[in-house]
Amino acid sequence: MEPAVSDISNLRGAMIEILNDLWGFVATADNWRGSNGILARGRAHLWISLVATALATAIALPPALILAHLGKAPVLSVGIANIGRALPSFAVIALVLPISISLGFGLGFWPTCVALVALGIPPIFTNTYTGVATTPSALREAARGIGMTSTQVLLKVEIPHSMNVIITGFRISAVQIVATASLGALVGYQCLGSYVIEGLAQPTRARDRLLTGAVLIAAMAMSVDFFINRAERHLTSWRSVLR
Amino acid sequence: MRNVRVFAALGLSAALLLAACGSDEDTADAGPNPSDSVCSADGPEIVIGAQAFGESAILAEVYGQALADAGCVVRQQSLGGYRDLVFTSFASGDINFTAEYAASALEFLNGFAGEASGEIAPTAAALQGYLAAVDLTALDASPAVDSNAFVVTAQTAERLGLSRISDLTEGLRLGGPPDCTDNASCIPGLRNFYDLDLSASFIPLDGAGPITVAALLGGEIDVAVLFSTAGVIAQENWVVLEDDRNMINADNIIPVLSQTLIDSHGQGFADLINKVSAAMDTPQLTELNRLYEIDKEDADAVARNWLISAGFIAG
Repeated sequence: MEPAVSDISNLRGAMIEILNDLWGFVATADNWRGSNGILARGRAHLWISLVATALATAIALPPALILAHLGKAPVLSVGIANIGRALPSFAVIALVLPISISLGFGLGFWPTCVALVALGIPPIFTNTYTGVATTPSALREAARGIGMTSTQVLLKVEIPHSMNVIITGFRISAVQIVATASLGALVGYQCLGSYVIEGLAQPTRARDRLLTGAVLIAAMAMSVDFFINRAERHLTSWRSVLR
Repeated sequence: MRNVRVFAALGLSAALLLAACGSDEDTADAGPNPSDSVCSADGPEIVIGAQAFGESAILAEVYGQALADAGCVVRQQSLGGYRDLVFTSFASGDINFTAEYAASALEFLNGFAGEASGEIAPTAAALQGYLAAVDLTALDASPAVDSNAFVVTAQTAERLGLSRISDLTEGLRLGGPPDCTDNASCIPGLRNFYDLDLSASFIPLDGAGPITVAALLGGEIDVAVLFSTAGVIAQENWVVLEDDRNMINADNIIPVLSQTLIDSHGQGFADLINKVSAAMDTPQLTELNRLYEIDKEDADAVARNWLISAGFIAG
């Protein structure tokens, strides 16, 4: 009984110390300002996540819609899109870095963005494909029966039917991208991940930075998840009428 | 058919046996003899910690291979970080030997009290005091010095008229190791000696490694924190800003090890380490860095070739 109690009180002490560190850093106004303050790094983190999510959507959504609508290449296309899941983002960044530098795209932003886009494509593609492809054939036939063209079937039946699945894919991508954008700090993209690498370089002296980075990244990812969820309910509000 | 196989197997076994006998004789001639090992047989294994930059890995290999060749049991442990991790790893027992930099280590341990100077003897003596408090000790400092260098490209130097550190102005983008914010010869040093605060425009990159070099080449940063022994500086014709207010201290290479290691392995062990340190100097260290960074040779091969040329191990 004795050791268990002291373990718990040690753990509590450690937790309190950690929260103190975190608060000490976050509550210091200077840490929010300047080009490597929380605001600037947070903005940069959000910006690269937005760009990467937009690019991943632009790349994944149209082919997924068209291929699923036509019922073409179900295994092959999803397999290809899923390569992005298997690629370690860190390795993609390392591979793209020298290419990006030699092409004049520089450090930081683009190498990281390429890795994030590769990470973001699979959930969007897979969910969109699955959503559209699993539209009940009765719905499709009824739509054709009342005279809809093939394009109308896609736009007015298949997409609305799979809207929530598509948005879920988008949400998964966005959350993964926000969490993974932290890796950009390794190649000089100043973002919330920079606090993590500064902390990692000296885990005892800069523990406050390590914790701040970790907590802010998690908070941003969770907020993105929350807002897309809200937006999803908004966008598919007609569902509540159907039910 | 079966018989042929049996004979073949017998023949092969005999050949292997002969080969084994032959190699026994060879090692008896050239290899270390356990009786004249500089290490005590029942002493602890030597675990050498290397920080996350090339020179630290090279130096860890230099000391490690010299000791291994002299009959010691040696293991390399890369730390994946910088000085902070060196001393936490000593405290946790994960390493018991490292090649440190005298002034930087001293200022790290004393909380940037400013005790380090450009003179190695008092710097090393002060370091010894702080090390003793945590059951560590330093052996003789090497004449080889590697300090932080603030480097700009020739174009930047011309455009902004930079030749000394005191020419730097706030707002210039400084790129360097992630521990620069707490390193006495980095941001805190600039603040104390030059009244210059570059912390707001600092970009954490790597420990004078390929990312920092690429960032300076690509114009992503204006000023890079590199090491004075970096081969790339001469290669790219870059400008090392003169330390006109003597911020940069006696960062001689100095082996730091646990007191236990010295106590259990004794004088012969310490003597060998001191001989290796004495044989290294700044130009040689710069050349080793060049081989590693620019010719892309492996740290262990770079170290081995130097030990052979310096006569510590047989070729």
